[in-house]
Amino acid sequence: MALLEVRELDKIFRRGTRIVQAIDRFSLTVEEGEFVAIVGPSGCGKSTFLHILGGFEPHDAGTMLLNGAPVKGPGPDRGMLFQEFALYPWRSVIGNVAWGLEVQGKAKAERTAIAERYLKLVGLSAFRDAYPAELSGGMKQRVALARVLAFEPRILLMDEPFGALDAQTRELMQEELNAIWQQTRNTVLFVTHDIDEAIYLADRVIVFTARPGRIKDEVRIKLERPRRIDVKKTAAYMGYRNRVWDSLREEVLKAREEFE
Amino acid sequence: MSAAAQPFSRRRRALLGLVLPLAAVVAWELRARAGGAPSYLIAPSVILATTWEMLVSGELWQHTRASLVRALGGYALGGACGIALGLLAGIARPVERFYDPIVSLTYPVPKIVVLPILIAWLGAGDASKIAVVTAAVFYPTFINSLYGAKGVNRLYVWSARNMGASPLRVFAKVILPAALPQVLTGLRIGLALAFIVTVAAEMQNSRGGLGHLIITAEDSLRFDLMYAAIIAIALIGFAGDRALLAARRRVLAGQTIGKEGGQ
Repeated sequence: MALLEVRELDKIFRRGTRIVQAIDRFSLTVEEGEFVAIVGPSGCGKSTFLHILGGFEPHDAGTMLLNGAPVKGPGPDRGMLFQEFALYPWRSVIGNVAWGLEVQGKAKAERTAIAERYLKLVGLSAFRDAYPAELSGGMKQRVALARVLAFEPRILLMDEPFGALDAQTRELMQEELNAIWQQTRNTVLFVTHDIDEAIYLADRVIVFTARPGRIKDEVRIKLERPRRIDVKKTAAYMGYRNRVWDSLREEVLKAREEFE
Repeated sequence: MSAAAQPFSRRRRALLGLVLPLAAVVAWELRARAGGAPSYLIAPSVILATTWEMLVSGELWQHTRASLVRALGGYALGGACGIALGLLAGIARPVERFYDPIVSLTYPVPKIVVLPILIAWLGAGDASKIAVVTAAVFYPTFINSLYGAKGVNRLYVWSARNMGASPLRVFAKVILPAALPQVLTGLRIGLALAFIVTVAAEMQNSRGGLGHLIITAEDSLRFDLMYAAIIAIALIGFAGDRALLAARRRVLAGQTIGKEGGQ
């Protein structure tokens, strides 16, 4: 049985008299331990899909099963990582990472130990007592990643997690996430508009159409793991890149027409 | 640039703020000593002497204590109601809708105008003054708490709910700390208002307190007494404000980083 099974999901936005179909009969299965990336033009509903899966937005039709059970409301079985980090500025780094464990009712000594372990994993042990305001964007997202890993969700839902970072930091973060994933082997659903990021990180890349969002293409990335950043220079990688870009290009143009 | 890293420059800036008041006091003293000044322009040295006398005799403290009871009593009551209702209105739309017209309509009314009515209800003692101060403090604390709670980053709440936090925990551990900077801003405005309204109420009707001292001193042309009372009010207000700012810096350790002076 697949860990995540989404069947015929529909999402409609109603603004006054205007009705916008955001997601149209979207189906997806994700296996345990699989890293799936969703790429699509901006406004295609890929983030909306993640918010629905996270339990933060209602949907209009379709089913979502996580580990065989229907998804209802937000819960710690799905760990959300947001583009804007969403760290609590009043809590220190360690306090942020331990917060999810606090909610789970773990004793202080235990949650500190777990939080320290995950801080070490993301390479920020030295900043355990700093406040988020003292960190760079890349460091903030690493803290957010440690925080979400610490409460051990069944699946990680990442909503353009590196979208707020500059190009160089972004590339470093991709490398780092790749290395962390190599150790943890979490099941990940990763939404991005960056093709390189998607191919480099994922086992499977799903291309969303322009609105209404549905599956346009699905590409299995058979690049060997563990992947070094150099993989981006190989012919195989370029092949995947061209394939995904060709699918996406049409949709980006369509989406642009709609906005103009 | 962090101010703490440059203690020298910080002291210098503080001194800069003293230049104007000191110059004014010196000019005032010289003018008063030159003779022929109006009677309300008493030399600062005389005012200080009077203030000292009243301090020693305990008279100034008596009035100050009466004012503090009213100001702080009303501050505590108004602040508690304002924060509680404001936060509630900030998270519950119906509560906000319920209070919004009443608050918008009564906010611009100077609260001191209802003092006669309050006296009719509660008598001429401390209760009516505390009630009018309560009303005055309620508004800034309510409005700031409301917008503090309403403006909490949606993702803070989402990420807490994602971890499985209950609504009560989300309120206590996320909305409250996230709204705290603005709640404290409301409390700071409220503190100044508490003193202002206390003195105004005492000037209208009371048997003691700094406002009463001012009005009786004016009536008997004892301007030195009047100034002594004004000095006391200014010092209390200043001390209260500084204490609040210090508390704010402590409470908001993570939220004030990189903001100069922690304000």
